[in-house]
Amino acid sequence: MSDKLKSGSLLLLFAVILLAPVIQDRLSEEAIKYVADSESAHNGMPTEWDGKQVFCTLFPEDFPHAEYSTGVTMIDSSGSTLAVNEEYNGTGACVGGLEGFTHGLDFMLNASAVVGNSLSIGYDIGEWGPLVHTIGGINSNNITGDFGGAYWHLDHNGATSMVGIGDLVMSDGDVILWRISTW
Amino acid sequence: MYDFHSISLSPAEMLALNVMTLSLIMLALYRGESQLDSNRPWAMLSLLAIFGISGRILLEPLPNIQPVTMLVLLAGIYFGGWRALALAGTIAWVSNVLVLGHGPWTFFQALGWGAVGLSGAGLSGFLLDGNRIRVTRLAYVSAASAFLFDWIVSSSILLETGTSMIVPYLINGLAFDLYHAAGNVAFVAWMAVPLSDMILRHSADPAREAVSEVVAN
Repeated sequence: MSDKLKSGSLLLLFAVILLAPVIQDRLSEEAIKYVADSESAHNGMPTEWDGKQVFCTLFPEDFPHAEYSTGVTMIDSSGSTLAVNEEYNGTGACVGGLEGFTHGLDFMLNASAVVGNSLSIGYDIGEWGPLVHTIGGINSNNITGDFGGAYWHLDHNGATSMVGIGDLVMSDGDVILWRISTW
Repeated sequence: MYDFHSISLSPAEMLALNVMTLSLIMLALYRGESQLDSNRPWAMLSLLAIFGISGRILLEPLPNIQPVTMLVLLAGIYFGGWRALALAGTIAWVSNVLVLGHGPWTFFQALGWGAVGLSGAGLSGFLLDGNRIRVTRLAYVSAASAFLFDWIVSSSILLETGTSMIVPYLINGLAFDLYHAAGNVAFVAWMAVPLSDMILRHSADPAREAVSEVVAN
């Protein structure tokens, strides 16, 4: 019995390691059905972005971005600035008007590349996939204050994303927003 | 002079190196335990903590595959729920502070593994046949413990989101629960009997004696 369990456990482990990525993709597609898109995620953005994909970053008040320190700059997919929304609750930039992306990290890297290096992304590959530590030169590990630590928090369509950017499945009209959170 | 520190390893090479390092640590702990006097539960718990911390850190490249769940389960069975809870909290806190990242999730991980340890204590009558460990039953319980632990840790998202997010979050995490469950079964299959032999020498219950036979269920 013991030998059967030993060999069976190894077979099970290898099978799970091989099949888990496929299972994960299917589960992500299923899980997204339970999350309602928030129409308000597009509020304050150019109307021509309705139905298009948007990548936003809000920078912390004490660590503003040198280029996007006033309001939220709206940048289209060609890299042109459309407007600055000073009514937004925070400062930063949104790159929008993109479409057709299905993979979160792929979308984010392409959207940030529209503005050259000013929103460049730094990330490590960890146990749970890509872990973003830097956006636009702001490294969350360097943010200190009256808290234990800080990290880049991902919102997807107005709610906390339930998966990391590496597992995020994108649809048309999706808005992802990064902001610093602390613990 | 050759710059040995500039060698960059692929993820697979790094994992192989980590597994070899963990094997060395296990061998040293095994030899160290044999030199302990019998009935030294806290010394044994310390060895389990070292194994759990190093195992969790060194196997970090493998998603959710690590020996801690099996260790706290065995600690619960042989040392009781409270000592298992102490072991769970120590492993979670030390490994997170040292390498893996400390935050509110540490509390939930300690809580999750503590619950696994308490389950082991509560199910000790089911998992032991006199002085023999029922390995097959332990494998089933360890697989279920993976889901118990993961779901307790996943509940930490309620600190930031509403309850509506919990179901999709759990669905999305099922693949990682499977990694954890399969890893637990493998650790139990290969390590539960020798670890039980070691732990029994330090268990407070004098009726239990170390045996390496496996009971067919």
